[in-house]
Amino acid sequence: MSIDIFAGSNAAWLIPALSVLAFPITLFLGRFLPGKGSFIPIVAIAAGFILFWFVLSDFLSGGSVPLHVDIEWINIGFWEITWGFLVDRISVVMLGLITFVALLVQVYSLQYMKGDSRYGWYFSLHALFAGSMLLVVLADNLLFLYFAWELVGLGSYLLIGFWFDRRSAAEAAKKAFITTRIGDVGLLIGIIILFKATGTFHISSIIHVAQNGGISDSTIMWSSLLIFLGAMGKSGQFPLHVWLPDAMEGPTPVSALIHAATMVAAGVYLVARMMPLFALVPEMQLIVVITGLFTFIFAGFIALVMTDMKRILAYSTISHLGLMMLSIGTGAVGAALFHLVVHGISKALLFLGAGNVMHSTNDETDCWRLGGLKSKMPITAGIFLIGSLSLAGIAPLSGFFSKDEILNSVYQEMGLGFLIVTLAGGFISALYIARLFLITFTGTSRTDAAKNAHESPVLMLFPVVMLTIVAIFLGMVAIPMGEFKGFTSFVEQESKFHIIPWLLVVSLSITILGVVVGWLYYGKSRLSHKSMALRLGFMYKGALKGFWIDAIYQFVIDRIVLESGRLIATFDRIVINDTGIDGSAKSVLLSALKVRLIQTGKIYNYGTAMAFGVFLAVIVWWVF
Amino acid sequence: MVGVLVVLEGMDSFVLLCLLGLPMLGAVILLFVPAGALKVVKVVAVTVSFVVAVLAIYIFVSFDETAGAVQFQKIYRWLPLPGPWGAGDNAITLSLGVDGVGATMVLLTGIVMLTGTLISWNVSEATKDFFILYFVLLAGVFGVFITFDLFFFFLFYELSVLPMYLLIGKWGSTSQFKGFARTKEYSAMKLTLVLVAGSVLIWIAIIAIFFQAGIGTFSILEIQEVSNSAFSPTFQNIFFPLLMVGFGILAGLWPFHTWSPDGHVAAPTAVSMVHAGVLMKLGAFGIIRVGLVLMPIGAETWMPLLIVLGAVNVIYGAVSAMGQTDLKYVIGYSSVSHMGYVLMGIATLNVLGMSGAVLQMFSHGIMTALFFAVAGMIYDRTHTRDTLVLEGMAKRMGVISVLFTVAGLTSLGLPGMSGFVAELLVFLGVFQSYGILGTVLGSLAVVGAALTAIYILRLLSKVFFGPTPAMWESQTDSGSRELLAAGILVAIIFSVGLWPFPYIEVIESGVNPILAMIPGAR
Repeated sequence: MSIDIFAGSNAAWLIPALSVLAFPITLFLGRFLPGKGSFIPIVAIAAGFILFWFVLSDFLSGGSVPLHVDIEWINIGFWEITWGFLVDRISVVMLGLITFVALLVQVYSLQYMKGDSRYGWYFSLHALFAGSMLLVVLADNLLFLYFAWELVGLGSYLLIGFWFDRRSAAEAAKKAFITTRIGDVGLLIGIIILFKATGTFHISSIIHVAQNGGISDSTIMWSSLLIFLGAMGKSGQFPLHVWLPDAMEGPTPVSALIHAATMVAAGVYLVARMMPLFALVPEMQLIVVITGLFTFIFAGFIALVMTDMKRILAYSTISHLGLMMLSIGTGAVGAALFHLVVHGISKALLFLGAGNVMHSTNDETDCWRLGGLKSKMPITAGIFLIGSLSLAGIAPLSGFFSKDEILNSVYQEMGLGFLIVTLAGGFISALYIARLFLITFTGTSRTDAAKNAHESPVLMLFPVVMLTIVAIFLGMVAIPMGEFKGFTSFVEQESKFHIIPWLLVVSLSITILGVVVGWLYYGKSRLSHKSMALRLGFMYKGALKGFWIDAIYQFVIDRIVLESGRLIATFDRIVINDTGIDGSAKSVLLSALKVRLIQTGKIYNYGTAMAFGVFLAVIVWWVF
Repeated sequence: MVGVLVVLEGMDSFVLLCLLGLPMLGAVILLFVPAGALKVVKVVAVTVSFVVAVLAIYIFVSFDETAGAVQFQKIYRWLPLPGPWGAGDNAITLSLGVDGVGATMVLLTGIVMLTGTLISWNVSEATKDFFILYFVLLAGVFGVFITFDLFFFFLFYELSVLPMYLLIGKWGSTSQFKGFARTKEYSAMKLTLVLVAGSVLIWIAIIAIFFQAGIGTFSILEIQEVSNSAFSPTFQNIFFPLLMVGFGILAGLWPFHTWSPDGHVAAPTAVSMVHAGVLMKLGAFGIIRVGLVLMPIGAETWMPLLIVLGAVNVIYGAVSAMGQTDLKYVIGYSSVSHMGYVLMGIATLNVLGMSGAVLQMFSHGIMTALFFAVAGMIYDRTHTRDTLVLEGMAKRMGVISVLFTVAGLTSLGLPGMSGFVAELLVFLGVFQSYGILGTVLGSLAVVGAALTAIYILRLLSKVFFGPTPAMWESQTDSGSRELLAAGILVAIIFSVGLWPFPYIEVIESGVNPILAMIPGAR
């Protein structure tokens, strides 16, 4: 039986393949083509987006779980390592999100990056970045996933460091790569431990073996923990979140991509994918829940005090990634993916909106140096408002639906205590995003740059408007309609949609309260945020510094890692080389100088020695 | 091209002799070229290197991995040694042949030799003598990889070490640091003495093997057949460490590794390439070819120690590399670190680890040749290798920066490049072996790759990125000849990384028979 690899969901492998292929083509041939070949990645990703609809319709019409292409990569001993693709409901969702956001971001970049000296390089990197992210979500085995996972890391490294002649960009790129790489050490070890236990890299086989008791609990615990470490690195979970705020050194469309569809989504995806394994050890679920919840609150708090537009958005991303992890930890994989998509759309929209602002204000990112932009750029302000409200979770925007499902699950699985903390996080979320919007777009323009701001060109508005429309209506897919049992049920393949009315009311009121408080502080100025900052004192200063996490890392790297490098290098030179190697050579020389003295050239010296030797020999012969 | 292949088909049994003879012949021809005729010298050098590279590629490609065993075999009698064993007609023979491991190493050497020649274009001092020694060196290297006779193995082994002394001592460079200096004379002397010390251990073991076998031959293949009965476990346990340490020294085994970074740094570019790219592999190759094959029981006894030392190499080398401020010293210590993976892989005694080790030998050889080639390009232009002085080079040296980045990413094990495949196999092998010790050491090995990321990315950021100071504004990018050499290396890095299948097939066909000899091989 042969499977038609170009039909329906069997063609899913083409989606990443097109973008991956677009990378070398744009890189090498782009310079000879109009627009430096920028259209090639766009055509590739657009084709991917169209293919996504075919794949999706296959699933909606109840098409079987299909398979596909399995390319032999390494074959050694009894082991066979392949490049294989798997499309299931989780990957379909990811395909939609990635292709849609990447497509819009690339179109947006056509205008935003115009005039840059490395225009072609920029677009070829986008192809690599999107292509490898698509591979991550289609890989059917952990090794191939790791392969693509690292390429995502490479893509982010090159894109964050796109303006590498800026010191800050070079440093940020390095930081992102090294931080995520620390997580990846865990991921790779975890993968190899699972390989050792099961003899395979295939995700479904590993989970199957584990569920049938083929792997010991401690092995599952260790490997889950290590794999989670990898996810923490990519998805910016505390304490590996430090690279994400700095990642804004890349061009703003890149930030939109990283924060919405690629890179950070990879970690959430991985945990969602491996959840059947994690679920076998309850402690592991608790670890995921606590990491997620802590990150949610912690990063939200920092977002409250940042003044840089992109930094506020960055910490907001970290915070919401925490919420997604929390959701997965409670077993609500569908809700987490739903929030991933909804948040991704809102965040891409907000970042591109911020890009519009920067584009018209000479790259001003400090929101206190802007203000009053709503009259200068009304469309951008409007869509930014919608994005903000969706992110805060105001009904009927999509953010409301996804948050509600997560709250449901937290309440049912973890109890009231966890629910209250999560709601507090929701309040913070609403507050900081209201603050960002109000300072930037309302009030008076505080600088010349803000006064001279103007609306963006159509090519930059179009993608943002598209995202806005989706952000408004996407929430609807949460609701069951006929055959379709709602988004969450679609992903988890069991009917999950239900409403707890009081929770709905409470959550919405708290969100609105957050927005109102924000308005009282920053819109109406009824309350003084400055006196509040003074009252919070230590907490405020701590948050401003990101609670010194960066400083701690800096200290560890400078004082411990690099210092030990210097120490070992010196040890190597002085002890191993100068003492050990040179020393043994010198001792030969010295003993030669000493032994030389024995050669006196006097016959009676030699005679005595000979007599002594003969005497000794006789004794030895006698005794033995 | 087809015509050439037909000619080669007809001379399959002489192809290894040519591989050995051509560099020698090149050296002899150069002897008769007047020193002033630079153009002739270079033409001869490139022609010989090119032909040798083609031969090397031919050997690798036409190696039949399904047949395995030793191929292209040809035995020339050289010296009979009568004794208690009889006439000893086949005592010392020039016994040529390659197995899967040898074929891979031959390919590596051919490529590094050609690219090294291309890179050495602007050696201006005594160019003729430089190439003569370079060819003698490479003849020795090829000899080791294709010889199945202990006597000639050792002879070629020495032949590939001694020219280094002159190459570094005459064409090398001295590094001046705050408070101390590493002169080229010192580095050359240390390299030679330390390696000769290792050779002494090896020679003792070889003589012991010859007499203990008692069949009056130095032929590895013949001794291998009697090794089970002739070499008692005690004998193996006593003499295997001599081979392990003796060869290990050349592979950069900790704590006998310090000759290598100093040697790398002092050597001229092409010699660094051959030195780190190929020469260090002779050590690891020796452990496999002589140690594992002839003393499998001794190997089993001592491998736990080797795997621990290998792990020390990985971590210690990486941490030391972090503390360096000289471009070439960073690469030098990274070689020490990467050779640790080779030693660990050999020590696993399983097919994953061993194949990984051999692939790592190949991959590291190509990668480090690229590293040193690029470091040479930078030094030729800026006349410094101080990472504290170099900054923002990417602006004026775009291509050079890309090349260095490729080498760097290979070195930190990025998927898609050769280093990842090789290191992955080593990791898998290490985890499969020695129970909990294997898990711990395997994890350390993975951590080593992350440490590599730290020093490589710091180096990239510091040297290539950031604003370009005025003093480096007028630099030029790589020329076409340099680009050709580097391009060959880059292409191979990607080919192994994306499609390792053909390489692994050949390597595995060489590794399997060796593992079959070892009673407890996993």
